[in-house]
Amino acid sequence: MPEPTANRRGLVCVGLNYKTTPVEVRERLAFPEAHVPQAVQQVRGLPGFEESVVLSTCNRVELYAAHSLPSGDHGHAALRDYLVTHFKLQPEHAEALVLYNLDSTEAARHLFRVVSGLDSMVLGETEIFGQVKAAYKVALDTGTTSRALNKLFQQAFTVGKKVRNETTIQRGSTSVGSVAVDLAEKVHDLKECRVMLVGAGEMSRTCAQSLLSRGAKSVIVSNRSYDKAVELAAEMKGTALKFDEWESVLHEVDVIISSTSAPHFVIKPEQIEQVMRKRRWNPLLLIDIAVPRDVDPVVNEIEGVYLYDIDALQAIADDGRRERERQLVACERIIEEQLEKYGFLQSPGSTQHGFVTS
Amino acid sequence: MTLSQQFLAAATLTFVSAVVQALLALKSGAWKQGRMQLVLMALGFALQTGFIYLRGQEVGQCPMKSLSDILVFIAWSIVLLYFLVGSGYRLSLLGLFTSPLVSIMQIMALVGGFAPYKPKGQVNALIELHAAVALIAYAAFALACITGVMYLVQERMLKRHKIGGLFYQLPPIQGLAGAIQRLVRLGLLLLSISLGISFALHTPVSNPKLIFSWVVWALYALITVLMWKHVTSPRRTAWLAVIGFILPFISLWIVTHA
Repeated sequence: MPEPTANRRGLVCVGLNYKTTPVEVRERLAFPEAHVPQAVQQVRGLPGFEESVVLSTCNRVELYAAHSLPSGDHGHAALRDYLVTHFKLQPEHAEALVLYNLDSTEAARHLFRVVSGLDSMVLGETEIFGQVKAAYKVALDTGTTSRALNKLFQQAFTVGKKVRNETTIQRGSTSVGSVAVDLAEKVHDLKECRVMLVGAGEMSRTCAQSLLSRGAKSVIVSNRSYDKAVELAAEMKGTALKFDEWESVLHEVDVIISSTSAPHFVIKPEQIEQVMRKRRWNPLLLIDIAVPRDVDPVVNEIEGVYLYDIDALQAIADDGRRERERQLVACERIIEEQLEKYGFLQSPGSTQHGFVTS
Repeated sequence: MTLSQQFLAAATLTFVSAVVQALLALKSGAWKQGRMQLVLMALGFALQTGFIYLRGQEVGQCPMKSLSDILVFIAWSIVLLYFLVGSGYRLSLLGLFTSPLVSIMQIMALVGGFAPYKPKGQVNALIELHAAVALIAYAAFALACITGVMYLVQERMLKRHKIGGLFYQLPPIQGLAGAIQRLVRLGLLLLSISLGISFALHTPVSNPKLIFSWVVWALYALITVLMWKHVTSPRRTAWLAVIGFILPFISLWIVTHA
């Protein structure tokens, strides 16, 4: 009969995220991308550690490791010391550092939830899946993973895919920017989509950037301050237009995002009726972010025109968040099923229980 | 029940299960363009093809002489176009709208029954081709009708800010408007070919059939011109594609009873 710790690896995870640690501290404890290969080697080089993966994103820093130490507590303490030493934290900062310390089943559950987007700031977001994959690949390429972590991460990716395929956790938009993108995608082929900003507010900039990042063809910026229009257009590789000229190109664009500070309607039904004739019924999406509103709501009654004001966008985003929250139970159930399937929920007397025989 | 009818009943059950599967998935909010939908549609198509082959053996010609046979042939053509056009235009939810229509057509055919008939004299390949091409044209009009329904549903949701469920599964309305135009043009081209063949027929084709076919051709030619000249909005075009299909649908009775 082998010794309990002689030929088995324990699994630990030590980390901090946006829930436990404010951004001022997170940014000090983040591993720059180029330093991650060195970090995984350093963690693996700690006494008693055999495998390591370092996940460092803007919202979390997590160290996953397989070890042969007498207990998980030893592993947690070693990883905490590593973070304190690596980032040269002052004693008072080290004292105030709040980390979560997870063992075997809890560590696996946490990783499965992270990969599935359940631990993300925006519930169900998909970017984290790619970030975990990238972190794992760095460790794999550096040679700091072996059987235990390879198996765990492969299982996590399978679980992440399963959660996304079998639930609608990623469906729906949860921010005004993503609602704008969803709407634009349901009206036009985004690759052919030309966007115009009337007014250069922060929210319209966010919407336009979301559209461009998803493949919108081009952007025109028109603003009362022409300099600001030029600046924003340059930032988004678009074209600036003087404010008294924006009407002349209305018929050439597919999405208009309006956010001027005008106290009256800037876009009126008679203008849009003319534009629609010129556009030969090509549909037009109007996103009115301004308060007071820039676009006369009557515009929505014109055929082929779809108008959304800030309240409509916000209501859709709220619905999206609620819908994702409703999916949480189903997602957690899948994760528990998978934990059981992979042997993480076996009884304490079991030989495995989250440990991997080497 | 003959072997051919057993094939048809199995095909109908397959399409009905495709509808049920899609509706259950929609209800649970987990609708995805699943492989299961595609598998069910493919299986249904294979069973339909089996029916048409066996029925052809029974009646000694392409089975298009009774209303029930015509309904099944059009249903078969719709599924054929679903695979050809569906992937081309990426109309991901077409199956949800296609399978109910196909199921209804086949149930009507099964209820109506399949009377035996034999060819009057030697089978004329040109007449068979003329009829088959016309029916595939009608299938294209049927798909244009389904796409029109999808357009109207999507358009209504966008106008009323009802975002959720079906909304995420439907293609962009601009793409749907384009698909309606292409399907109407395809149907018109096929019907033109079919009517062109009728000029070369030595076997006389009874007048009411031809006259009604020309009426259908004229309707879709008018819709095509209206679309081409941008006289009507895509919404009205979608309505025309939906309501316009009533005419070819009525013509089936005239064709089979003339």
